[in-house]
Amino acid sequence: MVEERRRHRVLMVSDFFYPNFGGVENHIYYLAQCLLKLGHKVVVLTHAYGNRSGVRYMTGCLKVYYIPWRPFLMQNTLPTFFGTLPIIRTILIREKISIIHGHQAFSTLCHEALMHGRTMGYKVVFTDHSLYGFADIGSIHMNKILQFTLADVNQAICVSHTSKENTVLRSGLPPEKVFVIPNAVDTAMFKPAPERLSHQEIIIVVISRLVYRKGADLLVEVIPEICHLYPNVRFIVGGDGPKRVRLEEMREKHSLQDRVEMLGAVPHAQVRSVLILGHIFLNSSLTEAFCIAILEAASCGLLTVSTRVGGVPEVLPDDMVVLAEPVPSDMVKAIQKAIYILPKIDPEAMHLRMKKLYSWHDVAKRTEVVYDRAFRCSSEDLLQRLPRYLTCGVWAGKLFCLVMIINFLLWRLLRLWKPAEDIEEVPDFTPPHHEEEEISANCDKA
Amino acid sequence: MTVASPGRNKYVYIHEDHDGPLQEIDVHHILAQKNSTKNSLRCIALILLLAHMCCLMLLKERPGAFFLWNILLVAIVAKALLQASIMKESVVIMRGFGLQLETHFRSGRVVRRFVPFGKVLKAVLNECVTPVTCYWSLALIVRDEPELLLVFQELRLPVKLLVPIWKALRVAIDSKEITDTVKENNY
Repeated sequence: MVEERRRHRVLMVSDFFYPNFGGVENHIYYLAQCLLKLGHKVVVLTHAYGNRSGVRYMTGCLKVYYIPWRPFLMQNTLPTFFGTLPIIRTILIREKISIIHGHQAFSTLCHEALMHGRTMGYKVVFTDHSLYGFADIGSIHMNKILQFTLADVNQAICVSHTSKENTVLRSGLPPEKVFVIPNAVDTAMFKPAPERLSHQEIIIVVISRLVYRKGADLLVEVIPEICHLYPNVRFIVGGDGPKRVRLEEMREKHSLQDRVEMLGAVPHAQVRSVLILGHIFLNSSLTEAFCIAILEAASCGLLTVSTRVGGVPEVLPDDMVVLAEPVPSDMVKAIQKAIYILPKIDPEAMHLRMKKLYSWHDVAKRTEVVYDRAFRCSSEDLLQRLPRYLTCGVWAGKLFCLVMIINFLLWRLLRLWKPAEDIEEVPDFTPPHHEEEEISANCDKA
Repeated sequence: MTVASPGRNKYVYIHEDHDGPLQEIDVHHILAQKNSTKNSLRCIALILLLAHMCCLMLLKERPGAFFLWNILLVAIVAKALLQASIMKESVVIMRGFGLQLETHFRSGRVVRRFVPFGKVLKAVLNECVTPVTCYWSLALIVRDEPELLLVFQELRLPVKLLVPIWKALRVAIDSKEITDTVKENNY
């Protein structure tokens, strides 16, 4: 007899969600939509964004709790350790949640939700979307926090093998607990231009935040060199950030106003319309766990030139990307190689390959396996879990144990003050039939 | 007349559906039950405050500023403890006319607010989220008002109690819309 597939009730937690835009936000949204299509219940928990506070519903009856905690730094809520316990407990009970899925090591809300979840005996899964260093003060602090959170997670997910290696090294998590599930791209949204562009003028597109980490300083060196070597090459730079001034200065210095177009910030909805203007996509990141921008560009039929950093070499097949070391001379050579092989590139064929290689439906299926694994993990009480925190360091271990004991006591106090019976469970809303078909179509396309 | 008290008897729901000449009036009362634990805690806190006040009076060598700060603190705490407790909240639906929201305090004070149906666009069951909890609320979308108008201003009721009132409001609002449409068609 075939065992019936388990229906999970998942709470996705992160400080990063719509209306904010980025890789993590997209990942949570598309994953949630495809999990809903697979029959699971998904609820998203994030902090309030301006006036967007309270409960909102998105496509497919995806319920989002925007809790009225204001962000204080880089879209993160203030770390309070125990301040979020009452609201998280209430949501977990009223939505009948079975698994808590936290996203992004930067997210305060994610760390706190996972901590409270373990205290209350829920199964928890964590997804890391970024790479971090080991030496600077910020990374040391961040890694200690990650070590605390991951000391007691049931399963973890990373977006690339490089990211997995990085997470395992930083957190001391057993590698067998970490799964690698790459990101995907909505190929329905990123289609090539209807008509193939002529190769008389070669357009290189750059779309990224103009910050140090994204290699804006490399662009300052590379762009003038390429413009000097190829008179028929033009650049379109989309994005904004503190390094924009340097690019503007470079444009003035080398008199490239007619050959380097600066678009400023590009809304996500208009990214495709910028990408299809070009032949080559240039990514100059200095560190990257996965880089969804490369997928979006490849889906639009652009040949990619990228720095060989982090998880980037794992993203695309070798014939779809030209990799270079993050040094100007090597990047110039890579662009030259890309210009040489450009006539052989068929954007439509590239798009179809991307459609097969990267689908959110596949990501959801693989995530479902992780949830099943997490669900099979045995439940343990506080005394069984405390020794794990002690391994986090001589002083840190004791501090983490103290935090968990206080959290446990506060939870018991909350149970007395507001018993679970007093918290009303909410009904599950299923999308109307036509909307259900729309989600299926979107998921299949993606 | 219907009486219901779900969930630990914290609230009692009384529905008065008038017959005869008053049948156009539909009244929904929510009675807040007296919480003996809360009351005893209030009494203990007040006794402790009075004792504290007496101690302050006796300690004459303390500086004046210290005395003033303590008086202020005592006043704030006393106000919080003696905060007006709710006896009941009512919704009086006058079909084809409007609805009156009433809050009855134990002190005898009554706060009333009348909303004509002409201004009510919709009655909604809403999920409210605060920094520490989530709860259901019954609210009205009122024309020319930037915010929702809560039907029960003070009490946080279980959804079981809100649903019948919400249904009654919807019926009243929908019937008002039908009447308006008929009038428009006649002219």
